[in-house]
Amino acid sequence: MDDFEHELTRMMRDSRQPDPFRAEQRERLYEGIRVRRRSRMLWRAGGSALAVAGLSVVLALLPGTGSRSAPADRGPLPTTGPTAGPTPPPVRPSPTTAPSTSKPPAGPTSTTSAGTPGYAPTPTSRPPDAGMSTTSAPPPTQPARGPSPSFTEGGSD
Amino acid sequence: MERFRVDGFDEFVAARWSALLHVARLLTGGDRQRAEDLVQEALVKLWFVWPKIAEQAPEAYVRTVLVRMAARSARRRWWGERPVGELPDRPGPGDLSSAVAERSRLEAALAQLPPRQRAAVVLRYCEDLPESQVAHALGCPVGTARSHASRGVARLRLILSGTVGAVG
Repeated sequence: MDDFEHELTRMMRDSRQPDPFRAEQRERLYEGIRVRRRSRMLWRAGGSALAVAGLSVVLALLPGTGSRSAPADRGPLPTTGPTAGPTPPPVRPSPTTAPSTSKPPAGPTSTTSAGTPGYAPTPTSRPPDAGMSTTSAPPPTQPARGPSPSFTEGGSD
Repeated sequence: MERFRVDGFDEFVAARWSALLHVARLLTGGDRQRAEDLVQEALVKLWFVWPKIAEQAPEAYVRTVLVRMAARSARRRWWGERPVGELPDRPGPGDLSSAVAERSRLEAALAQLPPRQRAAVVLRYCEDLPESQVAHALGCPVGTARSHASRGVARLRLILSGTVGAVG
């Protein structure tokens, strides 16, 4: 501390006046306490009323949301899920058995296996009216059989 | 009024009223009415927490409340200027009390400081608080409180430099 700071400290402490706590100041203090206490009680009462009103609104809306999520409504969903999930690989229909809608497992599996890339398309699994059936049904050697006799004829010459 | 009495509160107020009012007066730059309002408000706040802090440091609590309320009330516009017909703080030529003149000069100089610098200077030099407690009362880091105090003292040095020599 330098001289000015010492002087400042002295000025601040010397300027203090004895000022007793008078009766009117005491009255004013307790009046302030009473007003503050009353306002606090009013705030608390208002807050409690607001909380009760909010809780009652929530409780009034809760039964409506509870009936919407009743487990009875969601019953059929789990039953269809497991059967559709582990579907066994489709039974390869024989070339003689055309996809018919009379058999429930054969109908959907044949249509899904045709478009599914995981399944290797075999000529037997394709429907007979598909465009690829011409490559498998008539062998390509049949038109070549025509000249072969002529070749043999020329060779024999 | 009797039902608001709590143990030790009245005794504390009666014992510390004068010191608290003095600090509040310095914090407000010499405004006695505003200082008394601040002390009343701080003591009302103290009454509600008295059972919790009566055994700890009630005066530190009141001091902190005073500093923050003084800074807040200083930001209000209606506390900034008061139009008066005459300057009440300047001692007239017939004022024989040098103590009153010195106090008035000090309060007028403090009133020119920003509220936080004023609070830092008052707590540091009047209340003789360490920097950590000044920082706690101001609600800022110790370095910031030290900066407030040093800047406040530097500004008071400028303001009072022309008048301190004339006091004696």
